[in-house]
Amino acid sequence: MSRRGTSLIGRVAVVTGAGQGVGEGIARRLAEHGATVVVAARRAETGEPVAESIRADGGAAVCIETDVTKGASIAASIARTVDEFGRLDIVVHNAFTGAVPHRLEDAVIDKHWKGMSLTAGWASLQCAREAHPHLVTSSRRPPGEGGGRYVLITSPSGVEGSANIPLYSPAKAAQRAIAKSLAREWGPDGITVNCIAPVAASPSLITAFDRNPALQQAIEARTPLGRVGDITDDIGSVALFLAGDDSSYVTGQTIVCDGGSFLGL
Amino acid sequence: MTEPMTGLVVGEGSLADALRARVTASAPARVIVPPLVIERRRVVDLTDDDIDRVWERPMRTVIAELQQAYRDGCRHIVIVVPTTGQSGGAEHAAVAATAEATRVLVKSAARQWGATGVTVNAVALAPEAFGIDTTITGPVSIAPRALEGDVDASDTISFLCSGAADHVTGQTIVCDGGLWM
Repeated sequence: MSRRGTSLIGRVAVVTGAGQGVGEGIARRLAEHGATVVVAARRAETGEPVAESIRADGGAAVCIETDVTKGASIAASIARTVDEFGRLDIVVHNAFTGAVPHRLEDAVIDKHWKGMSLTAGWASLQCAREAHPHLVTSSRRPPGEGGGRYVLITSPSGVEGSANIPLYSPAKAAQRAIAKSLAREWGPDGITVNCIAPVAASPSLITAFDRNPALQQAIEARTPLGRVGDITDDIGSVALFLAGDDSSYVTGQTIVCDGGSFLGL
Repeated sequence: MTEPMTGLVVGEGSLADALRARVTASAPARVIVPPLVIERRRVVDLTDDDIDRVWERPMRTVIAELQQAYRDGCRHIVIVVPTTGQSGGAEHAAVAATAEATRVLVKSAARQWGATGVTVNAVALAPEAFGIDTTITGPVSIAPRALEGDVDASDTISFLCSGAADHVTGQTIVCDGGLWM
């Protein structure tokens, strides 16, 4: 009988930026399938209610305040996770900040680049650095009982560029290159590394829709499936696949989860 | 024949020097060779100082050079990168990130500056052109290189700096003899 499936019972996952939006959706879906989830949020005011809600639904979750713009905070969060739960199998790095519309020729590093660079470039490498020993341990467990997984949340704009937020695209592109590089580097350890490029109804996108209803219509019109993705059912489910045993031979890839809007891969 | 233009190629090192001697332009143009830092380092051994040197500083330089080229009135802008950004590279995660970020920044710039008639493109070369050892990073392709002989990208770059490429923008031309496809 196959050991494969989407059960994450016994696994421990850290999801950064899980206090809202895509990170929250991923945390919920992983917890629904048995993972103990660390809601790694910058502020407990957002992270704790998500963890509490997951627990109320019968899942296992705690909030650990984590500022991914600081390497020491990432290290402390992962160390505390392993201290409390004895293992770490899955890291989903989703936290991101700093996307402000701008003209490229007028872009100011501290205002238009620094935040995105810290949360996408720096933090993707720092999360990897801190998590690696624990993901190795997970992958050495018997089949069906572990398997190190590192998932980065990038964006379709990280492939096709952005006219509105031009420096957003390189920050997100970096994550795909990091995933491919680590897929090569960590393959011998049995760890898989992949990206998800989502378009989902995150709070920031909903706010943008409220301000500009034409934007929602435009996105839906260009999307073959005709709707914007759901953070849990659409994006969380792809993350579940990449976190579990069914994806054990998939690494270095980007799954674009946007209803078919971007077809350029 | 168009002569090499002073200030056409910005960047340091043997690759930039070689291009400086051979690339031509028929309109105001800029060819940017990013200051990539090539170091073999497992991600678990990366220090924050490493990330700053290999990722942050080169990216800031690329952004500044792009902005300068636009302010200088360049009509054609070309950035030269290794295919390592597209393929990834073991023990080269940070520089691969820088290369791919640079390559995609080209697309953003092309989208924003297209309305002014400015073209922005990338030329991707084999990793070895930047001193990247593919016996460490892993192979670029599952297949061997299609073409034999030395690769000289200067004509491809000169094309992108000419009026013949006025309607080519946001693209990456891989000039590696048919290795990365």
